[in-house]
Amino acid sequence: MNMIIVLFALFLGGAVLTWLADKISGILRDGLFLLTMIGGATLFFLRIPTGSSVDITLAGLHLQWGLTPTAQVFSLVVMGLGVLAAIFAISYMKGKERLGYFYFNFLMSILGMTGILLSRDLVSFFIFWEIMTWSSYFIVIYSGKDVQSTGINYILFSAIGAYAMLTAIVMVWSQGHSLLINDMVRNFPFYPPSWKIWIPLLFLTGFGVKAALMPLHVWAPGAYTRSPMAFTSVFSGALSKMGIYGMIIVFVRMMDVVPQGAVIRDVFAWLGIITAILATIWAIAQDDARKLLAYSSIGQLGYIVTGVALGTPLALMSAFFLTIMHALFKGSLFMVVGAIERQTGTTYLNQVTGLIRKMPWTFLTALISIIALAGIPPVGGFIGKWMLYESMITGDRYILVIFTFFASTAAFMYCYKFLFGFFMGQEEKEWEHVKEAPAAMVVPPLLMALFAAVLGVFPGIILRPIDTAMQGMGFAGSGGHFWQMSTLFNDWGNTIAMKPLAIAVTVIFLLFAIFLTLKGLKETRYTSTKDISTSGEVPLEEENLTFSENFFQPFLRAVGPLMKYRIMVWYRQLGSSVEATADYLRRVYSGNGQTYAIYVILFVVVLLLFKDKLFG
Amino acid sequence: MDFGLFDLKIVEYSFFITAVVVILIGLYGALVKRSLIKVVIGLSVFDSGVNLLLISVGYLTSGTAPIYSPGLLKGMPLTLENIKKLSEGMVDPVPQALVLTAIVIGFGVTAVALSLVIRLYRHHKTLNIDEIKNLKW
Amino acid sequence: MVGSPVLFIAIPLLAAFLIPLLGFVWKESIRVLPGLVLIYLLALSVSLLGQVMHTGTIVEVIAGWKPPWGIDLVFSPFTGLLTTVMLTLGFIIWIYSYRFKNVEFEEAKKYFILFMMLITGSVGIVLTGDIFNQFVFIEITSISAYALTAFYKGRDSAEASFKYLMIGSLSSMFLLLAIILIYSQTGTLNMADIAVRAHDMKPSFKVMIVIFFLTGLGIEAEIFPLNGWAPDAYSQAPGPIGAAFAGITVKAGVYALIRIIFTLFDVQGTHEFLIVIGLTTLIIAELSAIRQVLLKRMLAYSSIGQMGLVLVAFGLGTREGVFAALFLMVNHAIIKSLLFLSGSYLVYNSTQKFISEASGMGKHLPITSFLFSLGAIAIVGMPPFAGFWSKWSVLSAASDAGMITVIVLILLVSIVEVVYYFRVINQIYFSRKESHIEPKRPTVNALIAMISLGLIILVIGFWPDTITGYLQAAADTLMDKGKYIHDVLSTGQLLIP
Repeated sequence: MNMIIVLFALFLGGAVLTWLADKISGILRDGLFLLTMIGGATLFFLRIPTGSSVDITLAGLHLQWGLTPTAQVFSLVVMGLGVLAAIFAISYMKGKERLGYFYFNFLMSILGMTGILLSRDLVSFFIFWEIMTWSSYFIVIYSGKDVQSTGINYILFSAIGAYAMLTAIVMVWSQGHSLLINDMVRNFPFYPPSWKIWIPLLFLTGFGVKAALMPLHVWAPGAYTRSPMAFTSVFSGALSKMGIYGMIIVFVRMMDVVPQGAVIRDVFAWLGIITAILATIWAIAQDDARKLLAYSSIGQLGYIVTGVALGTPLALMSAFFLTIMHALFKGSLFMVVGAIERQTGTTYLNQVTGLIRKMPWTFLTALISIIALAGIPPVGGFIGKWMLYESMITGDRYILVIFTFFASTAAFMYCYKFLFGFFMGQEEKEWEHVKEAPAAMVVPPLLMALFAAVLGVFPGIILRPIDTAMQGMGFAGSGGHFWQMSTLFNDWGNTIAMKPLAIAVTVIFLLFAIFLTLKGLKETRYTSTKDISTSGEVPLEEENLTFSENFFQPFLRAVGPLMKYRIMVWYRQLGSSVEATADYLRRVYSGNGQTYAIYVILFVVVLLLFKDKLFG
Repeated sequence: MDFGLFDLKIVEYSFFITAVVVILIGLYGALVKRSLIKVVIGLSVFDSGVNLLLISVGYLTSGTAPIYSPGLLKGMPLTLENIKKLSEGMVDPVPQALVLTAIVIGFGVTAVALSLVIRLYRHHKTLNIDEIKNLKW
Repeated sequence: MVGSPVLFIAIPLLAAFLIPLLGFVWKESIRVLPGLVLIYLLALSVSLLGQVMHTGTIVEVIAGWKPPWGIDLVFSPFTGLLTTVMLTLGFIIWIYSYRFKNVEFEEAKKYFILFMMLITGSVGIVLTGDIFNQFVFIEITSISAYALTAFYKGRDSAEASFKYLMIGSLSSMFLLLAIILIYSQTGTLNMADIAVRAHDMKPSFKVMIVIFFLTGLGIEAEIFPLNGWAPDAYSQAPGPIGAAFAGITVKAGVYALIRIIFTLFDVQGTHEFLIVIGLTTLIIAELSAIRQVLLKRMLAYSSIGQMGLVLVAFGLGTREGVFAALFLMVNHAIIKSLLFLSGSYLVYNSTQKFISEASGMGKHLPITSFLFSLGAIAIVGMPPFAGFWSKWSVLSAASDAGMITVIVLILLVSIVEVVYYFRVINQIYFSRKESHIEPKRPTVNALIAMISLGLIILVIGFWPDTITGYLQAAADTLMDKGKYIHDVLSTGQLLIP
């Protein structure tokens, strides 16, 4: 029996057994869940080599499953993040309700993602895509809050995306009755000219929804916020990357023969950057750390989309690299928020302060991840960004560079807000009792953060599989020099010498760390923010005087006009007008039997009158 | 049969015309009248019209009953030719069989309809179809 | 198993008459007998279906009157498949309704008599080869359906039933008119014979006949301007009968329509008309469902919409289209039955059946809620459940026929469908139970019925090949008009040359 089938069976069986075990005992359930996830990942990495494939005939369709080098890179994210998030989840979810349901859907979404990566034909791609969609939907509504708004938004946009994709798939099917992605790519130049535009656009709509590309992103902030943090890290880190994976297939393997391909590339590159800028501004405005990170994810995905859309080897490489980096740091940041949520009960930045001493390890994790997120060397995020800049500059897209630069500079603001809001500042009595999260909630994010840091120094570790993937898609290999280098000890990039910069930044980083450590050794003096009086006025008890309240108010006032336009409002109006029309339409069912009888007679009369036209 | 002044063709068509008129009356009753009883009556009349139409298809003016007996041959030899010639003068029995069935069915439907009308009246205390619109949209 | 097609009609009819008599002897027999009948017929139909897949169509001549004079029953892979599906559903619905609502003896007696009549009529519509006989079976089905719709007293069921009856009798009038026209033009009532002689018929008559059939059978098949009765009837009939309407009765109506269009009269433009009217039905029904506040009425609109989709698929006219339509019919029969059966437990103790009354049932009725959600996900066509494969086959057939617009419309409507079904799922699981609602735990037999439907959905979803072979054969049979005529007419030698 082929190992791919065994893998799918393992995940499916594990998911069902976990779900059933919930009725028997909690330990059995947790054990089965971990065992399935870790077993699946082990099986995947040990027994499924790239290039292996298996053919299946289902309902008369020829399906093929196999692992391509591109999928291999993405599977690192899915499996790695999956295992770490699973370990995190055991501790994070402890004591919550309906865990069987949660774990079942967790494993099903991992199965969906693995399936997408292993699919070499469009129908199984679609099947796994939908499995991923509904399982993640059920996790989004797990908390039971906002299910009819956030949940329906998510499933509605997913459905729009999925059906756009399905339309493209049946169009491909009608051309030559083969569903293999390779056949599609091979025959694509011979499709009718208009289809050559429509098919990629429909696919990109489908992938754009999952990658939260503007203007299809409106589901994302709510969905990322509402799902439990243990899954949000997978959601933002891996699940949204499936959209990127699809986009890579379209942009790299199909776009070159599209007559208007250059225009489409430009449009998507711009969409990506606009997404990044607007999402960054929105992230700055958030007080809920989950929402802040959600918007930040949308923004980061924007960069990645831009990289994919540009499509030059360097841009694509940066997209790959950013994909992995984003999974690492955003995965760990969502887990950090999860840990804080468990320990303090809130995720609002203007409520929790001064956790740096209470949760030092969590702080360390957050610090490294935030540095990666901000793109500061020597942590890995910088390298991806740098490659993106360089690809834009070498492609003479200076305006894009400026916008990207603006977005990533503005991103510093929310990075700062996140770090400062939770960990720095005055220590409030209210949070005195807070302790460090248990090891299972600290180690997985810390591991990811450390790995992100390691990648910043030795990007070659991950650039090697990326290089293989790019060669698999027909790009010239890098000749192997990529993975021998590191930012610390070598020169990187074509034009600019990196060494002095990298060393300088490292030194600053180290000094800062030492400073923080020294500062932390001092005794704490507890005061309350309420312990003030301004002009004789004593602030009310419920007045929020945390310094994170109204953070960046001047900036937000400056961009205020921009934030007035919310696309969600437009969608809501569209949705309600459709529903109102539908509501009006169903009044044809007037409730009067005679009206129905008149419809029947009218139907006959009309048919008889127009019978020559209808049945000529 | 002798219809005297009437052209036989007109007699034959008159069945169709009558049937169509009856159908239209029935439709009028079913579609326009507001009382449930009248609606049921309308449907019944419609039904009768259709039955009349059906039976007129097989009707032959001055045809004989479709019963075969040796006496009808009147000494002619029993050949296929002769049987054919004989059957041409007979009324087609199939529509009559069909109509019998259709009448039975119509009877059943009317019975169910009237029993429903009784229940509707008990429930709504009215027979006006415009006021019996709890189920809509 | 030994048996012939005539048993499919004779036995349930006989059972319908025996139930009241046996009821005098042993009260439980009124509940047991239908089950025995249905399980026997199901086994028979499965074995006959296996047989005809290899040996070809069985044509049974009734009482020695050979076609084209007598009535014949045709058990082909096509009709056999539909019969099997109907009997499967009939059996499952019987399991479900064995102790449904714990109704009294008298009520249960009526219920099972009418149910047997419904099965007789529906199976008869599918099997018969005689157009007037088909009309009679349609009437048997309709009358028992009127009565079953009005089964509950004290609700608005009489109103629904009366509307159904009004439209239904219009339907039978138009059918009768069409049959008159056929007989006056061809002098025969045998379907195969009509199909042969239709070539010599005057085109204007042919068109008129087709229009009358479209109206008469369109009412049974719930196409758009003719389906005013359907939402009322579905929502007022008892839950299992709603399932029977969706899974059995409508399927028979669609079969009759398809037989007329595909086998009897090849009038130009009917296929295009089917596509247009099917799309209209689909769009209007699904849009009507989106703001629906009554659970069963929502399911009814969804059911109408699916029938529209079936007609679209038939209208494509290709073998793939027919295959897709049959697949859709089978899936819809199973899934929509599951939805009706589980849905009626979700809103058990209420006469209005508001969706909001199902709030919070996820906690109180976990298995029923789970099965309802499974059905909902399956019917919107999400893989890996049964609905996906039929949706895929419809779409691929449409794309083979080059109808991208149709695909886009179907998928746009599917988005609407996703939204309203998921709203209900959310409501079931994530809203607080209304305090005055008393959840009703399903009985064991109801659970067995629902779980078996759920299992069928999963089996077809994960391994569609279990039924695609039969569907292919059925589609081939329907498309091969010449073979149908040959099979039927070769059984009798012509008396008069």
